[in-house]
Amino acid sequence: MAENLIEARKITKVYPDGTQALFEVDFAVQAGEVHGLLGENGAGKSTLTKILSGLLSPTSGTILWKGKKVRFGSPREALKAGIGMVHQHFALVGPYTGLENIALGAEGVRILGPVRTRWIGKKVENIMDRSGLRVPLDVPVEDLPVGVQQRLEILKVLVREVELLILDEPTAVLTPQEVDELFSVLRSLASLGKSVVLITHKLREVLEVTDRVTVLRHGKLVTVRPTRETSLEELASSMVGREMPRMRGRTNRSGGKEVLRVENLVVPGVGGKPAVRGVSFSVHEGEILGVAGVQGNGQTELVEAMVGLRPWTGKVELNGKSLAGLGPAQVAALGLAHIPEDRQGMGLILPFSVAENAVLGKLRPFTDRVGGLRWRKIFRSTADLIQRFSVQTSGPRAQARSLSGGNQQRLVVGRELSKAPELLIANQPTRGLDIAATHYIRETLLKLRDEGLALLLISADLDEIFELSDRVAVMYNGTFTGISPVEKLDRERVGLLMGGLTFEEARG
Amino acid sequence: MRVVLESLGALVLGLVIGALIMAVWGRDPWASYRALFEGAWGNTRALASSVSRSLPLVLTGLTFAIGVRAGLFNIGAQGQMIIGAIVGLSSALLALPAGFKLPVAMVLSALAGVLWALPVALLKLLRGVSEVISTIMLNWVAHWLALYLVVRKLSDPVRGERTFQVPVGMRFPLIQGELTWALVVSLLAALFLYWLLWYHAKGYEIRAAGLNPKAATTAGISVRRSILLAILLGGACAAWAGAIQVLGRFPYAITSDLAILGSLGFDGIAVALIGRNHPLGVLAGAFFFGTLATGAARMGLRGIPIDMIQIIQGVIVVSMAIPEAFRLLRVKKTSVPTKGKS
Repeated sequence: MAENLIEARKITKVYPDGTQALFEVDFAVQAGEVHGLLGENGAGKSTLTKILSGLLSPTSGTILWKGKKVRFGSPREALKAGIGMVHQHFALVGPYTGLENIALGAEGVRILGPVRTRWIGKKVENIMDRSGLRVPLDVPVEDLPVGVQQRLEILKVLVREVELLILDEPTAVLTPQEVDELFSVLRSLASLGKSVVLITHKLREVLEVTDRVTVLRHGKLVTVRPTRETSLEELASSMVGREMPRMRGRTNRSGGKEVLRVENLVVPGVGGKPAVRGVSFSVHEGEILGVAGVQGNGQTELVEAMVGLRPWTGKVELNGKSLAGLGPAQVAALGLAHIPEDRQGMGLILPFSVAENAVLGKLRPFTDRVGGLRWRKIFRSTADLIQRFSVQTSGPRAQARSLSGGNQQRLVVGRELSKAPELLIANQPTRGLDIAATHYIRETLLKLRDEGLALLLISADLDEIFELSDRVAVMYNGTFTGISPVEKLDRERVGLLMGGLTFEEARG
Repeated sequence: MRVVLESLGALVLGLVIGALIMAVWGRDPWASYRALFEGAWGNTRALASSVSRSLPLVLTGLTFAIGVRAGLFNIGAQGQMIIGAIVGLSSALLALPAGFKLPVAMVLSALAGVLWALPVALLKLLRGVSEVISTIMLNWVAHWLALYLVVRKLSDPVRGERTFQVPVGMRFPLIQGELTWALVVSLLAALFLYWLLWYHAKGYEIRAAGLNPKAATTAGISVRRSILLAILLGGACAAWAGAIQVLGRFPYAITSDLAILGSLGFDGIAVALIGRNHPLGVLAGAFFFGTLATGAARMGLRGIPIDMIQIIQGVIVVSMAIPEAFRLLRVKKTSVPTKGKS
């Protein structure tokens, strides 16, 4: 057994708002290994690595670095000790060259004058030669592709002579070729004796590049295994768990009218890489189509495109009418209602009153001929909505900000449903809500389904997908890896699909 | 209600600091403040003067306030105000029946203000240019253009230091002292914007777009159209501030130092902050400014040096503007998207 470079013992982390992110998790990385850290959204991967790299401090538990107990107060201290983290969001200065960016972090703060780079150039060349991590150093980084920018971030950390490199979902922004190159770099770093922690939810990546893998679920350690001794199936089931939620999908489907038809939908993402790559599906009356998948696989872009917030190509038809080229107001007018994934950022205007929020996006019936607001009618309708959807608030004049998350979401849901839609898109409708509000929202969605509404549910919560959906699609890397009636699926298979396998592979 | 109390608290604080300054320099704060408020409100003539001086500030204050409501930092009132004054004055050159002159001058100056503000909106919406930059530049263009016109094109052949005077039939009629019926213009503008913002769909959209552009867009509100409307309405208001100065205040002309226009546009920013960017608050803020301006003259008579009066004015204004300025900064900071923990 090789010596542990870093060892975390019984790490517990409770956030100030009471969220328990980690519960007595043990985690160890050996010198010279690539260690996979696998888990769904909210499993605690990011929290754990933020603790290791000094960004957060644990509520309890100890960290041993080279056998000695340590406590890092800041990322700077951790970096000094030899632990560097590359975050998903890069910290590069766009107009500066690669070398300037590297020097900027390494030389400390200077208020005046240009960045001095001469002293570090040799060292960087040296590291590039040894690791195979080639980056053009004399080009402004904003002109570099994302994959190269990421290599630069890694280089920035390596220059500080770290021994443990933590990468947070590094492949999320990369093309397949860039992923291959990154992995070969990681292997060569390991052969130089450095240790790498790779945070991911992609099963294949774990199998391809890691030596050992740690799986977290709901803030708890599930398993630690040498990668060689494990399999896709085993990893998938440890990631998503085995217990089946009760399914309430409707098995005797009456074959309602097709409401939404999407064919070959392509949505451009950042940096020219399409975020949605040719998705086709349909949603019928009285049906919930659930889209499962780890966040960041194109769900946001898919929804924003359909509701008119993003440009797209392909075909989207609502009741036979094309949505091509329509903006949010026109799409809504055709009968598409939308519960946005970010209720505080997109669904509500927090400084507005409950009443003002209750008519957001449906002001027309509340104005007179010259556009004047009919406040009495607005208040009456809001009071009605508050009652019908049990929104806990001091009244229509209360600021939306003063409502709890669950009541804010009830307000959004109530508002969207009062638009009498043909199709409702619910994007992560219960994320972050307490149990009562979650239950209420799910019951409401099921009731609407039974009343004949067509629903598209996007959720990263597998329990929710299984509990509500009649059919399930799994989204991975901008495409649907499969659509199937919910009763033909189980968690393990969905877990495999979420991890990037195709339907056929997941079946076999 | 809370904001009114905050503002009153800030006013008291400002007065106290001002009193301390006077006390340190050996003046009697109590007597000075009495002089200030007696000078501003002591008789109808003084009160008329305070109100009169507040009228253009109401309009430039509205320009900034409606900008903030739409999420803008529109500091273009100064330039738009100058253009409004020039066009209001130049309208005298049109051959019109006497009764029409004043209304036509007001309409033309409002149009000029809208046109002067239009590039700000177009640059922002089409090219993403910050309104802060474009308005500062256009303010200077307006300033030097006005100087050129005042000195070269509109000057009075007999009195070279100023333009020709607005003919008598075209001036705002006097009500009392120096107060004119321009009062109605400022009051109506403030009431109109109040109605627009809280009792009309367009105003609702402006406020929604200003507070949360992403949610507004998601709800089908055109943030771009709201910004355009707020900039253009602001341009019209500011232009009127300049127009009511030349058409309603002695010498009914523009001197070559533009003294009659001064920094009305920039003062409007402070007025709006004191008034918490609410049209009715702007009325109060402008009246407060008018009070300070009129009362300061009486303080001067009591032997307080003009510099100290200005310091005290500044202290009071700054302390009153702080609560709103603080809120603006905080909104800016919290509106930056933060990544959730996962």
